[in-house]
Amino acid sequence: MSYQFNSLKVLVVDDNAHMRSLISRILHAYGIYTIYDAADAEQAWQVISVNPLDIILLDWVLEGMNGVELTDKIRNAPDSPNSFVPIIMVSGYSSKECVNAARDAGVTEFLAKPVSAKTILSRLIAAIEHPRPFVRTASYFGPCRRRRIDPFYKGPERRTESAEGNASTLDAA
Amino acid sequence: MAGKKPIEIFMPPNMLKAKVGSGGLSSSVIKKAEASIEELRGEFAGWIATDVNRLVERRDSYQAQADDHALSNLHRASHDLKGQASTFEFPLIARVASSLCQLTDEVNHGLDLPVTLINAHVDAIKVIMREGIKDPSNQMAVILAGELEGQVSAFLEKYAPASAGASA
Repeated sequence: MSYQFNSLKVLVVDDNAHMRSLISRILHAYGIYTIYDAADAEQAWQVISVNPLDIILLDWVLEGMNGVELTDKIRNAPDSPNSFVPIIMVSGYSSKECVNAARDAGVTEFLAKPVSAKTILSRLIAAIEHPRPFVRTASYFGPCRRRRIDPFYKGPERRTESAEGNASTLDAA
Repeated sequence: MAGKKPIEIFMPPNMLKAKVGSGGLSSSVIKKAEASIEELRGEFAGWIATDVNRLVERRDSYQAQADDHALSNLHRASHDLKGQASTFEFPLIARVASSLCQLTDEVNHGLDLPVTLINAHVDAIKVIMREGIKDPSNQMAVILAGELEGQVSAFLEKYAPASAGASA
């Protein structure tokens, strides 16, 4: 048996038409045939609002609302149709600060450009095989920002409401 | 503590796993995906040319009116080019675009950015594209990129030390 991707519905959001084309081509080759695309957050929200999506691949830099802001909207807006959808942030920003900012907005996985067939697949597999629990605090809703949960950890509990709001105290994604 | 909202941790049902099943992907499917990129490879140079033209337009707009809006647009074009060029196999365009990205970063808005240095980046990108340089060790382009990075570092260390070491 192998993965059956043919029933997945995926949205690709990137302001660059060529990058959308490349990513869509790779997804199609993996057997994902229902692929929506959007050039900005407004178009993306329209797609999200009417289609039950399984995964979103989202560029950081967009005209108008950026990818981090859109992630926050998907996770937290009262009218969000799917607050739990896995979001893979695809970005030319790759510094630790940027990865942390994306994670703090509720991104599921981070893919630093350059994009390749292998890197896209690795993030898809991570979303499928290693989903993280969701956390809701006064200031955050999204995938748990701790990469690993150690069931044998016996030290002091570091997760506090302020720590969830300030991820610098947690392990980097 | 009274009055504080508790932290809620829960595991949503893994709908993805339920849909796709188990077993990974066969190597033939992965090869097919890589082949799909191979089919597009002939278009990469044309795609990069489109992105470079957009960068030139944004540079021209900034030169015509050097305000924060024009600088933001220039920064976004350089950032896009950085990501696109690395994917479309022009690593040295990505490197020069990254240097320009650092110079035009939002934290540097308000500085009197040297137009000659901006132009030098854009010209270098145009040369690398025109010459079709894809080899990341191309001596001429590596020297050029290193020189531009050095000048950006020197400028930022002098006028914006807080952003001098930041990655673009």
